[in-house]
Amino acid sequence: MKKDEKKSLTIKMAISLVLMLIIDCSLNNCQSLGLKLEFERIFPFYKIFINGIINTFKITGLSFIFGSIFGILIAIIKVSKFKILKLLARFYTSVFRGTPLLVQVFLIYFATPQIFNCDISSYNAAVIAFSFNSAAYISEILRGGIESIDRGQTEAAIALGVSRENAMLDIVFPQAIKNVLPALVNETIALLKESSLVSTIGMIDMMRAAQIAMNSTYLAFEPFLIVAILYYVLVMFFTFIASLLERRLKKSDRN
Amino acid sequence: MIEIKKIKKSFGRSEVLKGIDLKIQKGEVIVVIGSSGSGKSTLLRCINLLEIPDNGQIIINGENIMDKNADIQKIRKNVGMVFQNFNLFPQKNVIENMIYAPLRTKKNSRNEIEQKSRDLLKRVGLSDKEKSYPSSLSGGQKQRIAIARALAMEPEVLLFDEPTSALDPEMVKEVLEVIRELATTNITMIIVTHEMGFAKEVADRICFIDQGVITEDSSSKDFFENQKTIRAKEFLEKVL
Repeated sequence: MKKDEKKSLTIKMAISLVLMLIIDCSLNNCQSLGLKLEFERIFPFYKIFINGIINTFKITGLSFIFGSIFGILIAIIKVSKFKILKLLARFYTSVFRGTPLLVQVFLIYFATPQIFNCDISSYNAAVIAFSFNSAAYISEILRGGIESIDRGQTEAAIALGVSRENAMLDIVFPQAIKNVLPALVNETIALLKESSLVSTIGMIDMMRAAQIAMNSTYLAFEPFLIVAILYYVLVMFFTFIASLLERRLKKSDRN
Repeated sequence: MIEIKKIKKSFGRSEVLKGIDLKIQKGEVIVVIGSSGSGKSTLLRCINLLEIPDNGQIIINGENIMDKNADIQKIRKNVGMVFQNFNLFPQKNVIENMIYAPLRTKKNSRNEIEQKSRDLLKRVGLSDKEKSYPSSLSGGQKQRIAIARALAMEPEVLLFDEPTSALDPEMVKEVLEVIRELATTNITMIIVTHEMGFAKEVADRICFIDQGVITEDSSSKDFFENQKTIRAKEFLEKVL
């Protein structure tokens, strides 16, 4: 209990320090730090920033949902007995883990239209690239999680006359998810941060909003500081949600 | 009721079962003993096809379970198993552990299944643990729940794979007490154990396995008083 209190006090102090700095910077342009900053010139861009936040959220959220669905599928293939499918799944993972995400985004946005003679919006291209990419990582995380569960769990379930598929879904999978939750949170955070790459294909996300502000004001420090704080706050928010979820799932471990 | 004919099983290069023959009548209690690595657990795991024998036949109630068209799930419902490491589902509490498989595989109503499970909990003396999670139970309690869970499927055959080997010594008794009580019912049981005193008392027949072959198959009394093979004699001298 005491340790928790200490921790929360430290966090509160850190937050208030940051807030004081921000307030000071925005009202007095950081004169107390000996800097001359002009945050008020960034404020007119708030609509673009809000738009950017929404887009960042959308891409991260959609990619995580599609990536999870696809990732679960691939993970199940990886622990199944279908040799050819397993080989394909492993190849898929190695390709998406073995190439830079930026290259994947460019391949889907610039190269696909050339081959298939169709147009793809930057938004769709971003979601597709990020979904495929996170599916590769999520499938590996889940495979590890599933394989970490004692074989006795499956055996106990099938010895009771339950089918192998049900044993996997009802017994093994929930335990695996619980074990890999921290890794999944890491993946979501990585996805959120990497979504800044979509600024390179013309999508207005948080990063692009900062660039736009920089281009018209010739200020760099202020917009990028704002965007860094925004990313940080979002990441902290996810971490908080995840820790709540983790505590809920740990219910059965308590005596 | 169960007829095992010449089953063989290899893992990689080592042949663990080298042709096992065994006939078991309904309601019989068979105790399988032998030194470690002799194939007792493998034999047990073959009977509900957790291991698939390489060849031979296993016939349960007239049905060859190794037949390609055999409904393995249906057979497993009828052949329960109790494991050395309990294998309770940690995310489910005691009653959820017990009702999971019946709910999944039987047509009875939830109420009926829950009632049946409560009766079984009473029988193993753990009525007060209904809502507990496995992590809060002692080893002996876990194994009693595991037995009750297997019984909830109402199997005709129950396999015990060293049910007391993972327990602290002071918890062995409570588990054996439960198995002893079951032995008086009409359920067919095959027990792999190292508890010789218990084997002597509870078994209708003792099978001694040595290097993948059943070398002795006799009544409990005969086996303990008069072993036919030197290996069995040596084994008993070591463990008694």
